[in-house]
Amino acid sequence: MMKSELSRRDFMKLSTRTLLGLGAVLGLGGLIRYFSYEPGQGPPTVFDLGDAGSFPIGSRTIRGEVPAVIINQDGVFEAYSLTCTHLGCTIEKDKESIGFTCPCHGSAFDETGKVINGPAQDPLKALHVEITGENRLIVHTD
Amino acid sequence: MMLRKCIADVILMIFFAFAATIVSTGAAAQTIISTPSPIAPTFDPTRLAQPPTVMPPAQADNGAQAYWSMCMGCHGDHGQGLTDEWRASYGNEYRDCWQSGCHASDHPENSFEILSTGAPALIGAGKLTRFANAYELQSYVHGNMPFSPAGSLTAEQSLELTAFLLRESDTLPGGLTLDMINSSAVTVHQKVNPPENEVPGSFLLIGILVLATVGLTFRVSTKVAIPNARPAFVYHLHPPRIPAAQSRFWYTLGTGGLSVFLSLVLLLTGLLEMYYYVPSPDRAAVSVSIIKTLVPYGNLVRNLHFWSAQFLVIVMSLHLLRVVLTGAYAPPRRFNYLLGLGLLVLILLLDFTGYVLRWDEGVHWALVVGTNLLKTIPLIGDGLYRFVMGGGGPGPATLIRFYAWHIFGLTLAVIILVTWHAFRVRRDGGIASAPPGLSQGQQWITRFDLVRREVLAMVIGIVILLIVSLAIPAPTDSPISSFSSMTGSSQAPWFFLWVQQLLKWGDPFWLGIILPVMVVTLLGLFPYILPNADKNELGHWFPRGNRLAQVLTVLLYLVILVLTFLGAFSPNG
Repeated sequence: MMKSELSRRDFMKLSTRTLLGLGAVLGLGGLIRYFSYEPGQGPPTVFDLGDAGSFPIGSRTIRGEVPAVIINQDGVFEAYSLTCTHLGCTIEKDKESIGFTCPCHGSAFDETGKVINGPAQDPLKALHVEITGENRLIVHTD
Repeated sequence: MMLRKCIADVILMIFFAFAATIVSTGAAAQTIISTPSPIAPTFDPTRLAQPPTVMPPAQADNGAQAYWSMCMGCHGDHGQGLTDEWRASYGNEYRDCWQSGCHASDHPENSFEILSTGAPALIGAGKLTRFANAYELQSYVHGNMPFSPAGSLTAEQSLELTAFLLRESDTLPGGLTLDMINSSAVTVHQKVNPPENEVPGSFLLIGILVLATVGLTFRVSTKVAIPNARPAFVYHLHPPRIPAAQSRFWYTLGTGGLSVFLSLVLLLTGLLEMYYYVPSPDRAAVSVSIIKTLVPYGNLVRNLHFWSAQFLVIVMSLHLLRVVLTGAYAPPRRFNYLLGLGLLVLILLLDFTGYVLRWDEGVHWALVVGTNLLKTIPLIGDGLYRFVMGGGGPGPATLIRFYAWHIFGLTLAVIILVTWHAFRVRRDGGIASAPPGLSQGQQWITRFDLVRREVLAMVIGIVILLIVSLAIPAPTDSPISSFSSMTGSSQAPWFFLWVQQLLKWGDPFWLGIILPVMVVTLLGLFPYILPNADKNELGHWFPRGNRLAQVLTVLLYLVILVLTFLGAFSPNG
């Protein structure tokens, strides 16, 4: 009979360690599962901004609760998110121009949401605008 | 007859003045659009008299004037609300003047329709039950009063009116001027007395401790170890003797011991804060404000906690610098050096989580940026973000998670690592290895003298902490009202200003995650990849052996310092 290269003692040691390691991995998996429950709802993604008529033609209205700028371009509504595409601060309207600047890291955007100045890489997110039958303006942020 | 007519005319004129006040401020009245009340007029002109002016006026005195001119018409002369009795005082033709049309063209459109609930009573027990604290009351007043045009009051007027209402209900803490921050700590329904001045008590403590330092400084311990006796617990934590040259302050800078001391202060003051702090988004900033303004010595406890935390970051950074510049991490202390680095990272995380617990506008954007940074990590970023936030965005779950990490998760890790770190120092032969061939005698100090020095350092430390905490209050700000509006400071906490500055220059993942991780990794690798100090060189500053690591570390510190200053002084650079 061939003698096993693995001694009985070594075999016991190896299997004990394997079992302990397996147990640890299982425990870790359980821990990750434990933390996967999300009690938070997350921020709302649909905003009813009221009567669309209150945004006259040619107007650019900032609505802080979204936050977004609502543009009425000859009766066609556009909306840009005012959340900076860099790290999520809410950008502020420039005093002199109609562009925006982020107070956290200085990214600058023009009035159409394009990046003029970094560190942001992506233009402001265009939001889906919907006008309901009752002429209410609904903005979707997702 | 003439006299009676005269009096009637005067009364009428006062009525007109009153009506004009109502119209001009838009404070209009009444619920019941009904048949004229049969109550007989009970008019008493003294009830309409302007409150006497007080010089200098307290906040509530200004509020009394504002109340008289804008609110009294509907809410009554002593805050009873628009009762039948108060309406009766108008006289028949004015009681329902919105029906008789006397407001004419000034009549605010629809202004009387929405008052189906009447104008509520404002003053007295059981009134204003919908408001938990003065902050909520003043925001309501600011946003909704006077009736027309609503929202025409300044923030200051709203606070003055709030102070007036609380004073009339006898719930305004004496001598307190309400502002946007402390108002959230002032309850509307229950009188809370502001705490006594914490300065005399603190100075008494400082004086006693200063006296104690004299004894500690000059009484060199004459205790000697009894052969074969086992030392008491505190002594046992220290090595029996350490080399005198390396126990000097200018060798160690006392940074390790100071770190332990500051951690103990943090544990104690943190525990005390837990008795009042409420980790929920609507109560967190309020409870911090309560600790600060109303709890006796609460302000001192909070300031001690804040300043200990700030000093701890500085002292630990100096400790790290000292260890590198003396080459003390050379084997066999390499692993302990890693434990120390881990502690520094943990303390930074504790500082950040603690900072967020304020949950006010001052920390709002640091929280948003700091957590959004996690999202930029490829593959695991989004999962990590949700794990940290407890959901898809900042909310109640986020605060509870930060609370759990701060109070227990990270703190437990720190306690374990500190114990391990101190154990390794002890096992590796104390603060510093003795130079080879150091003989017995004068060149050593005993553990007893070491403990005496530690107590002295602690006492001096407490005195300095107390003075700083009395002089400079820890920051607070108004509670976070909405996560979309940008009202607070956009600056990172000072210990992350260097990261914020880096983030202005490019890709957030590389500059905000990879670079800081690389800095820590690099520091951790020094003992393993760079030449170490020789055994004979240990115990002195700037040994030749690890010069390269010394130069690199100093450069790293300088770069971080410069970035911090850039971040602090050029908000949009």
